[in-house]
Amino acid sequence: MAERMQTCNLSENNFEQCTKCSICTTVCPVAAVTTDYPGPKQAGPDGERYRLKDPAYFDKALKLCLNCKRCEVACPSGVHIADIIQQARMRASEGKRASLRDTMLANTDLLGTVANLVAPVANTTLGLFPTKLVMHSVMAIDKHRTFPAYSRQKFTTWFKRHAAKEQDSYSQHVSYFHGCYVNYNFPKLGQDLVKILNAIGYGVHLLDKEQCCGVALIANGLYKQAKRQARTNIDNIRTSMNRDHRVVLTTSSSCTFNMRDEYPSMLGIDNADVRDNINLATRFIYNLVDEEKIKLIFKQNYKRRLAYHTACHMQRMGWQLYSIELLRMIPGMDLVELEQECCGISGTYGFKKENYERSQAIGSILFKSIEEAQVEAVTTDCETCKWQIEMSTGLPVENPISVLADALDVEATRRANGIK
Amino acid sequence: MRMDTVIMGGGLSGLACGISLAKRGKRVTIVASGQSTMFFNGGSMELLGCVNDKTVENPLEAIASLPESHPYHKVGVDRIASIAERVKLLFSDSGIDMTGSANANHWRITPMGIAKPAWLTLNDHLRIDDLNQLPAKRLALMCIRGYFDQPNSMLAEGLRNLGFEVDMIEFTTDDITALRRSPSEMRATSLAKHLVSNNALQRIADQFNNLAENADMVLMPSVFGQSDSSDFQTLQARTNKPLRLVATLPPSVAGMRMMKQLRHYFKMLGGTYLMGDTALSGTFDGDRLTSITTAKLADMPLKADNFVLATGSFISRGLKADFERVYEPILGVDVDADADPEQWTRFGVLQPQAYFGYGVATDNQLRCLKQGKPIQNLRAIGSVLSGHDAVKMGDGTGVSLLTAIAAADQIRENK
Repeated sequence: MAERMQTCNLSENNFEQCTKCSICTTVCPVAAVTTDYPGPKQAGPDGERYRLKDPAYFDKALKLCLNCKRCEVACPSGVHIADIIQQARMRASEGKRASLRDTMLANTDLLGTVANLVAPVANTTLGLFPTKLVMHSVMAIDKHRTFPAYSRQKFTTWFKRHAAKEQDSYSQHVSYFHGCYVNYNFPKLGQDLVKILNAIGYGVHLLDKEQCCGVALIANGLYKQAKRQARTNIDNIRTSMNRDHRVVLTTSSSCTFNMRDEYPSMLGIDNADVRDNINLATRFIYNLVDEEKIKLIFKQNYKRRLAYHTACHMQRMGWQLYSIELLRMIPGMDLVELEQECCGISGTYGFKKENYERSQAIGSILFKSIEEAQVEAVTTDCETCKWQIEMSTGLPVENPISVLADALDVEATRRANGIK
Repeated sequence: MRMDTVIMGGGLSGLACGISLAKRGKRVTIVASGQSTMFFNGGSMELLGCVNDKTVENPLEAIASLPESHPYHKVGVDRIASIAERVKLLFSDSGIDMTGSANANHWRITPMGIAKPAWLTLNDHLRIDDLNQLPAKRLALMCIRGYFDQPNSMLAEGLRNLGFEVDMIEFTTDDITALRRSPSEMRATSLAKHLVSNNALQRIADQFNNLAENADMVLMPSVFGQSDSSDFQTLQARTNKPLRLVATLPPSVAGMRMMKQLRHYFKMLGGTYLMGDTALSGTFDGDRLTSITTAKLADMPLKADNFVLATGSFISRGLKADFERVYEPILGVDVDADADPEQWTRFGVLQPQAYFGYGVATDNQLRCLKQGKPIQNLRAIGSVLSGHDAVKMGDGTGVSLLTAIAAADQIRENK
């Protein structure tokens, strides 16, 4: 009886558990650099009380929220502060159209498909100063930004031509949700994953159909489209699980977090039956090693000093441990774990003209710590962090999977795992 | 994943224990669900402030007279002095500069202007060694316009009662005025984040030098230094008078800074700190704990030779109560608490409350009891322990730190 009384009073997002302690505001990267944003306590639980009375109390400043979720990580009372803020934004945007700029930035797959076709032209043109100036003034995409280079060949094209055939020869199988970045910008990351998984005896397969996970659609208010794509993805992940008995691996922390946690909380898509089957590749591989199901053999005389940056969504999932520990298995790896600070890009946020300065101010603490770490490169699980850190520090940034693939002695690993 | 030691709880106690073990080359993981109560700490540590309603002058002497159930007895009364010295070392190694002595309490000043006995206080905060010899005669109490987390009149009155002459001086600068745009969020921590540039600090120093001419010491709220004391030092160098900080209402910049420094040092020693994850349950094998699960690592249990429970008291959810019982929610270990809910509280907020003394039951080695039997490799430290009362006795941070080091020693000795 007593227990029931308490649980019945609980509302969504642990809203009532907020004790007004302000811890969230102290870790908010946006509130740290601007007084225009009232901070997560005010924007979240405090403001929600007013909004519940009258939606007109919605404060436009909420669009400054990065959705980095650091407030939720710090909250000692388990309040889903960022979800409260994002849901409020969602309600306030109902019936409103997103701008052309936001629609373009959000449609990473559409942009990628077009750009792939004309990759050399697109890369050159997008990099030209006049183009940047036009984008800056007409589209409000900041002129300091360079669009990530587009690849000539999509990952899926490469995969079908060069890898698909042999995948059935392995005894165990996984599906790979490659995401837009791997497909259009950086197929090498997908190739690196195939290389590692094949070496430990896993065949890699594409989903029957994959669409952009929609993280940028949600951030830019295109909820209807995000929902459609989310349904397609979850249906195909479900097929992979039920028909093929394959878990679905990813190499992007943001796609992973979005499909596991934002689909139900932001889009109302029920993923409970498949959520555990969506896994980050580093976590999947770490667990196999930890359970002594596979062995990884590394190249001799490998020596690198890298800094690991915990992406905000990685921290929200609490999975940085897997990537870090996996990299630390490499003999000769000198890995510096950076203090967990936001890089400021937050997907498409930093691309927008009105956010550029704030974005760089937020990232400055991280950039300074990278400089102090004296490393040859940075490693992180998020592609947009990669763009931001590369632009702001000049250092190359690699996904842990690529670092691992580079350090791996593929032949020796195959032998150690009994793969022909 | 296998560790030497897994610590549940990433507050003061968990970090002190983790640092102590990591320093000896042990692989340590700390599971920390959100920030801790250090967020409310005013820049001081206390060993023992009050016994039987009497203010303690010499904590080391007074500790011997505590009842056997007090956690200090489990640390070992004869070892307290040496462990207290090691705590000071641990702080200075982490870059935290504090002064004080275990055999002579000094006085710290609360945000309300009350002098309370303390063991260690941050060097940039106001500390009074002897109430008959105040460090200054006339204080300029600088009040930031629009900042509400310092009750200035009460603070001034309290300081006057101690014998200071106090001038309350309101001031502001352009940088501070800009922050008033979000009045509800103009907190110590936001001030500390925005008042970092040399120019911003110079503008404050200019105000001090203009307005506080008649004072021998400038006192201002503790709103500087989110990661170290360099901002304070810059300000001091540009201010003509000696400058001291005084604790504010939470959020406390000093407390957050100390946590950041301890966490940084722990990581430097190779420790793993899982921020924002929560220990959920444990698996026992006879009288040993073999692994725990966490909310985020889900299918991967954390295995270890030793475990430490440093989850804090009710406010941190290390202890929970429903309408019928008080319990420890993760491992279900035994709790010292009155069975009858009527006994838990007493009418009147300022009355001593029985529940303050509730906590996890341990043997004389700080090992948790489960159904009366000690779990060989599970120790409890800090506020989750029974038998002490941070509010009434002023022993909260002392118990956290001393039991943390003692548990680390026991883990090593039992190896």
